[in-house]
Amino acid sequence: MSEDLRRSTPTQDQQPGGRRAVPEPLVEVRNLDVDFRTGGGSVHAVRGANLTIYPGQSVAIVGESGSGKSTTAHAIIGLLPGSGRVTGGSITFGGRELVGLRRRELERLRGSEIGLVPQDPMSNLNPVWRIGFQVKEALTANHLDVTREQRQRLEDGLVAESSPRDDDELFLGSASKPALLTDIRGALEDSGVSGTSLDEQMKRWDETLDVGSVTRSEVRRRLLAAKISGAEQIALGHVTGSTVNDRVAGLLTEAGLPDSARRARQYPHEFSGGMRQRALIAIGLAGRPKLLIADEITSALDVTVQRRILDHLEGLTRQLGTTVLLITHDLGLAAERAEHLVVMYKGRVVESGPALDILQHPEHPYTKRLVASAPSLVSQRIQSTKHAAVRTGTPASGVGAPGVGAAQGTAELADHRPLIEVSHLTRRFDIRGSKEPLLAVDDVSFEVRRGTTLALVGESGSGKSTVANMVLRLLEPTKGSILFDGRDALALRKAELLHFRRRVQPVFQNPYGSLDPQYSIYRALVEPMRIHHVGNRASREKRARELLDMVQLPASTLRRYPNELSGGQRQRIAIARALALDPEVIVCDEAVSALDVLVQSQILTLLNDLQAEFGLTYLFITHDLAVVRQIADEVVVMQHGRIVEHSSTDEVFAHPQQAYTRELIEAIPGGSLHIGGAGAPTEPSGTAS
Amino acid sequence: MSEPSMSPTVLPGQERYVDTAHEEIAAIDSVDDSAPPTSMWRDAWQSLRKNPLFIVSAVLIVLILVVALFPDLFTHEDPKYCVLTNAQTGPGPGHWFGFDQQGCDVFARVIHGARASVTVGVVTTLIVMLLGGVIGAFAGFYGGWLDAVLARITDIFFAVPLVLGAIVLLNTFKTSETVWKVILALALFGWTQQARITRGAVLEARNSEFITASTALGASGRYNLLRHALPNALAPIIVNATVSLGTFIVAEATLSYLGIGLPPSIVSWGGDISSAQVLLRVRPQVLFFPAGALAVTVLSFILLGDAVREALDPTSRKR
Repeated sequence: MSEDLRRSTPTQDQQPGGRRAVPEPLVEVRNLDVDFRTGGGSVHAVRGANLTIYPGQSVAIVGESGSGKSTTAHAIIGLLPGSGRVTGGSITFGGRELVGLRRRELERLRGSEIGLVPQDPMSNLNPVWRIGFQVKEALTANHLDVTREQRQRLEDGLVAESSPRDDDELFLGSASKPALLTDIRGALEDSGVSGTSLDEQMKRWDETLDVGSVTRSEVRRRLLAAKISGAEQIALGHVTGSTVNDRVAGLLTEAGLPDSARRARQYPHEFSGGMRQRALIAIGLAGRPKLLIADEITSALDVTVQRRILDHLEGLTRQLGTTVLLITHDLGLAAERAEHLVVMYKGRVVESGPALDILQHPEHPYTKRLVASAPSLVSQRIQSTKHAAVRTGTPASGVGAPGVGAAQGTAELADHRPLIEVSHLTRRFDIRGSKEPLLAVDDVSFEVRRGTTLALVGESGSGKSTVANMVLRLLEPTKGSILFDGRDALALRKAELLHFRRRVQPVFQNPYGSLDPQYSIYRALVEPMRIHHVGNRASREKRARELLDMVQLPASTLRRYPNELSGGQRQRIAIARALALDPEVIVCDEAVSALDVLVQSQILTLLNDLQAEFGLTYLFITHDLAVVRQIADEVVVMQHGRIVEHSSTDEVFAHPQQAYTRELIEAIPGGSLHIGGAGAPTEPSGTAS
Repeated sequence: MSEPSMSPTVLPGQERYVDTAHEEIAAIDSVDDSAPPTSMWRDAWQSLRKNPLFIVSAVLIVLILVVALFPDLFTHEDPKYCVLTNAQTGPGPGHWFGFDQQGCDVFARVIHGARASVTVGVVTTLIVMLLGGVIGAFAGFYGGWLDAVLARITDIFFAVPLVLGAIVLLNTFKTSETVWKVILALALFGWTQQARITRGAVLEARNSEFITASTALGASGRYNLLRHALPNALAPIIVNATVSLGTFIVAEATLSYLGIGLPPSIVSWGGDISSAQVLLRVRPQVLFFPAGALAVTVLSFILLGDAVREALDPTSRKR
């Protein structure tokens, strides 16, 4: 393995001898092995993993679920779940060996040296405690509550220091902030500032001097920078320490929660997903750790929220000098946020190196496959196998470049007649305890042409799934009409509705929930035929085999049960079941959102092939614009129940008309990166800071 | 290979590395054909038959059932043939447990008492499963006003303690001399727990996506209830039934002990415990044997319930 390392290290020779000394790595993981003990022996979760992180860097581990990326990160912080054990190799942190450390010593390390922001913001905050209390817990656990600060001040007093040290732990308190502002105002007035200029400057000071967040040295530095007379005395006199509550508010402010003192008194259920994640970031950074492990922190969030949180985290950690280890399944996100990438597959590090270099010249077969199918990096509609296979490593044509296929697609579009016509669709929900009803869908109109794909895009709460359920006739609209093949779908009687159901089929988001766990795959596939009394036993079984073949699963799958299949396989079964009755329309409600990138692209390709073969019409509901580009002909963007933009896919990506659409496109992780290596005008030197 | 684009700031340990030793990658998302297919019930059976708790309780229950069905295999003594001269005699050949105050053979009475207890337990549980199951399933699946009405009715019955309700009822109708009276009294006040559990399980299943998918396929509500919701609710129903079987046997014994359960003409453990009470100080073993048999029977069913719960618990079954 060390030979491999040496093989690709000619860069060191390029460095002239006069360069400054190489810094000490903060984290070094060498030949790490982690096993999980299960009923039937042990499972090797991580095998011979190597990882080096330098102070101040951001490094990302990329891999699919089960690749060992989270296990590696959890091994560093000593939080392996259940029966997980480090069985070999070493992990050093700041030169200190972590493997074999006792629980108490690890506890001392956690929070203050290594922080963790966990994945799921919904379950990682205790619902019975206020947010502020939970942040305070993090401070107390690391002895950073007020007693420690007082002790620090006493120590400082003993040493008789007159000027604050750079790393001092004295924060601005809420009690002394008014006096501080008064003094600043006085100093500004003395230097001749007055009128609106004075008010504006004071407003800025008020907003930027966050209680419990800025330290004495920071205040001094800022005052000096603003050339305020007597800066030293003002900072020394008024920044004399904060209460714990001030610190809590300060930490929440840092994490990007406005009005934090009030927010700290709220409970987790009063927070949105993004706000909870910010609270978790505040907790993770409370102990001012040297290393912050961010484990899929934005996977559960909307793209725009994801972008805002990652931007904020990036700025904050840079300001604090925190080293960041990002764990993610999203190659685009990793390449955008980290300078060094580690790609893991089946417990092994298969490739590592500078982020852009890996993206442009992937060498391991797995990385190549990953780069080829990352939705954020693929900028074209998947071409069906009937015409051409998915091209791997196609040079990104950029957002604005109109492809040849796209032009054809638009020309073809005009020939298709609308199969579904939705007009003025509205759905109100009465909310308990509120007089104001919720307008989940508000006056939505669109058409889906036969044989094409219309993508309904929006963030959570945009009403896109409600529209899907109404089109499926699973939910009655409050107002509006749905025409299916020229007939009013809302007026269908029982027998006609049964016929309608045969022609319009759904595929749902959750591959673990949409198949009855008690039904074998055979039973699940013949169920639609049984309900509609199609065929006899023999012909049904033949059809089930055909269906499995269509979704590229072996016939042996018939006898299996859903719990034996992976998420992607279940989703293929769900697609097969939807196809059982030869429908014309398939409504895909977030059908690929829960899947790993590679599986996701596989399913998208499958859907495309099926469309080309059977002339299917898709209504594709998704929150992910990157996926839209791969599958849709037309896009409807929804926000707060209304349509904000409706256009062809190429048009939406090339010339987004609305600010919201632009925001969504920009939020696609890695969307701005150019890959493929075919003369992409990138600056590799821009990676290292 | 990749050196031209390398940035000059790469630090030691972070150079480009490719794992050339492990280049083989599996086909994306291939089906694992190595293991034989298993359904949830087969999986449950696989884990159940390795569970010592299950083996012990199953062996005991089989034994108890055999005793209840064919008591003559174990004793030829007539439990109702009592000779007062034998009263309180200690164990002897052919009479392993000795005699009680009336001069009846204790062993024979313990063997013959099993049938009453097991009958009451099993039949009551079956009635309760049916009654509570139907009420719970309707309430959980259809919801709305039907749920509200059924839930209130359940709550009213739930508020009456099982044994208290049965005492009142049995005291009112003292005439009948069969086990059915006790069974009906217990079932009438014992179905609420089963109804609540069924309701919860059906409610959970109803909200799952596979029911929505089935509706979108054109399935009717009744089809969904019978083919999807109930089969998925079966696991908690079975677990609860097994555990409650033991409590019904206890309740029957309690009622018989109080003299209002089974009539003296039917040999039962509860009745024997009651009549042995007076001998507690002089000959405690006369009390011990029926009480021990009762305890072992109830324990077996509760252990079986625990073992079944463990095997069917979805959280312990994951891939």
